Amino acid sequence: MSIRIALAGNPNSGKTTLFNALTGAQQYVGNWPGVTVERKEGRLKGNKDVVLQDLPGVYSLSPYTLEEVITRQYLVADRPDAIINIVDGSNIERNLYLTTQLLELGIPLVVAVNMIDVVRKSGDTIDLGKLSDALGVPVLSISALRGEGLKEITDAAIQAANTRALPRLPYVFDGAVEHTLAHIEEAVNHRHHGGLHHHHADGSQHEGALTDEHLKRWYAIKLFERDTKATEGLHLRQEDLDAIEDEVTLCEQHLDDDAESIITNQRYAYIQRLMEQSVVKKRKPGALSVSDRIDRVVTNRVLGFPIFIVVMFLVYFISVTTVGTWVTDFTNEQLFGEGFSLFGANVPGIPQAVEGWLDGLNTSPWLKGLTLEGIIGGVGAVLGFVPQMFVLFFFLAILEDIGYMARVAFIMDRVFRKFGLSGKSFIPMLIGSGCSVPGIMASRTIENQRDRRMTVITTSFIPCGAKLPIVALIAGAIMGNVWWVGPLAYFIGVAAVIVSGIILKKTRMFMGDPAPFVMELPSYHAPAMGNVLRSMWERGFSFIKRAGTIILLSAIVIWFMKSYGVVDGRLAMVEDMDHSVLAWLGGLVAPLFVPLGFGNWQNTVATVLGLVAKEEVVSVFGVLYGVGEGALDLVEAGAFTDLAPIAAHFTQLSALSFLAFNLLCAPCFAAIGAMHRELNNIRWTAFAVGFQTALAYTVSLIIYQLGILPQGGFTVGTTAAILLLLLILYLLFRKPHRAELAAAQA
Amino acid sequence: MPLTLLKAGETARITRITGNDATRARLAELGFVVGELVQVISDLGGNLIIGLKGSRVALGRDMAARIMI
Repeated sequence: MSIRIALAGNPNSGKTTLFNALTGAQQYVGNWPGVTVERKEGRLKGNKDVVLQDLPGVYSLSPYTLEEVITRQYLVADRPDAIINIVDGSNIERNLYLTTQLLELGIPLVVAVNMIDVVRKSGDTIDLGKLSDALGVPVLSISALRGEGLKEITDAAIQAANTRALPRLPYVFDGAVEHTLAHIEEAVNHRHHGGLHHHHADGSQHEGALTDEHLKRWYAIKLFERDTKATEGLHLRQEDLDAIEDEVTLCEQHLDDDAESIITNQRYAYIQRLMEQSVVKKRKPGALSVSDRIDRVVTNRVLGFPIFIVVMFLVYFISVTTVGTWVTDFTNEQLFGEGFSLFGANVPGIPQAVEGWLDGLNTSPWLKGLTLEGIIGGVGAVLGFVPQMFVLFFFLAILEDIGYMARVAFIMDRVFRKFGLSGKSFIPMLIGSGCSVPGIMASRTIENQRDRRMTVITTSFIPCGAKLPIVALIAGAIMGNVWWVGPLAYFIGVAAVIVSGIILKKTRMFMGDPAPFVMELPSYHAPAMGNVLRSMWERGFSFIKRAGTIILLSAIVIWFMKSYGVVDGRLAMVEDMDHSVLAWLGGLVAPLFVPLGFGNWQNTVATVLGLVAKEEVVSVFGVLYGVGEGALDLVEAGAFTDLAPIAAHFTQLSALSFLAFNLLCAPCFAAIGAMHRELNNIRWTAFAVGFQTALAYTVSLIIYQLGILPQGGFTVGTTAAILLLLLILYLLFRKPHRAELAAAQA
Repeated sequence: MPLTLLKAGETARITRITGNDATRARLAELGFVVGELVQVISDLGGNLIIGLKGSRVALGRDMAARIMI
């Protein structure tokens, strides 16, 4: 028989650190049913019979956030054998608010007072014995980070589960409330013993089907608070509900407050009394802690923004141009290139090594081509970004762990709010300037679903590292090396984010009150390397995993399409891409791009191959326009005269149009995969990709058609461009209809 | 008066919280309840970092305006 123990606590209480410390690598990560909230389960190290369930970090068991609903649904319906309630010792007063609610669920519970080392260091003392006596459950101190007290807390939880030691309810509420609660319990009991069990036709039970006595208190309080979401499963008779309503109203009149506030205030008042008995704080109220004094500088009205710019510049600079590039260059040019020398010995690169191995096996040319060009070429090009991503993630994880990222969201909120995004959207975009995939993944931390979706859809507009070769090619070889193409690319990206934000916010899908900014800020502390490395690895690995599946698959398919064509009426391998299936398909699609000024099959194929990895666009141009294989290297070396054959196929205007399209259209497959994972719904993913591509097409059409107006005169294309421009302006400045607003809020 | 009028470093007690149930509940679970002592740690153009119950909470200006002191 396995024991199920749930881990519950506030965000920032160290719950994840404790979970990792207790389970080690024995984790199963998934999603809670139907939502993109991460669910982690694991087995206790050293005792495989104990299954630990990590619950989302919540401040209470109210019905107002997704995480709260998930947590209480799990606790009520799935009934773990025991709960470990992790409480931040340095912030114990606020943390115990959740504890008072967990005690009412009738589940054996132990309280783990975490960060006890921080408490000791600050000179505060917590009398655990007194807390335990008052709460009626074991209270133990731990330090999840240093691994202190972990054995004791799990032993206590296992013992509580085995003996089914139920919490003895503490005296939280005053006489008037207890009186009302007793009446409510009576009404619920009345129904319960009346035998009126309502189950759904499919045999499922709603949140709150009353199955045992232990939940009596929980339901009574929820009925008192008028939390209908929690109590609808009880199926009380209307007359009982009316009687309960009368009791609650009476109590409200007596205490001159609304029911929900009465419960909240009395919980805090109870905790206050508890604090007076058992906690001694050294710092006087009103005095600033070290962390507060850092905040006075870092989030200062004058200094906040400049400090933020400097920090971000350093992170970006180090990741993208120095440390990251050394490692990436090594991966691209040596490991996946010509090989390298290690202590004087010549180590061949992977392609050479594999080629030698395949030659030795006498494999057929097509299999060799597929492996070397298709798989190693395609996946290798993508994996080349991994080291750089790891370096970027490492620095961002440090900023997150020490607590600075939360402040960044706070600082940026004022700016982002103006165009319908939250300050929390900034971090994904920042990461997205390196690579969209982890950027999109970072949107997870945004609680509001609308804000999160909006961030997922707009993050890939920010030019990522792989789009920069396209920008460089067009700036250097076609635009005559003018300085403004690079800044223009970023401007187009940022403008697309802003325009999309404003337009989408006025549609029914995203309408509604913007979620007001509320965020607990953890206190600053030195980074814990374990946490930093773990976060870096988790983000990086999820990308590698995707490279191994979706990118691998698309690389194989595209290799076949570009290597095979119809020769003499049958499918066969072709020498050059001109006769391939891909060229044929490109020719079919190309007319669509004629109004944008780059409607030939080569440009179409390059754009499509850009979906595998954006820098492929440059390589494909090299091959198709007769520069050769090494176009990407030429761009990096700045040898733009050698790239003249590519430039010959573009005018400055069509090049700009092409650039805009490739910057904004659907991102690479890896990023689309990441978008799908976060949106968790095929229709939303289709909408996102469709929206991005439609916006890209519109912007390119406007650029090209209005650009050729002086030479070409007024045409159908011009009309279309002007109409689309007017449409964008209308969508930007329109006032949403009242009916739409009402529908969105319903 | 609303919390937004407090200057950085100043301390006050909460007298009233306005807004719908969800808003007030969200604030309450973070410790913003009537009678609570709060301190403005930092003020960024009306967006505040508030110290209360030994923790720090960042509030947007529209949220801070709902808390009366």
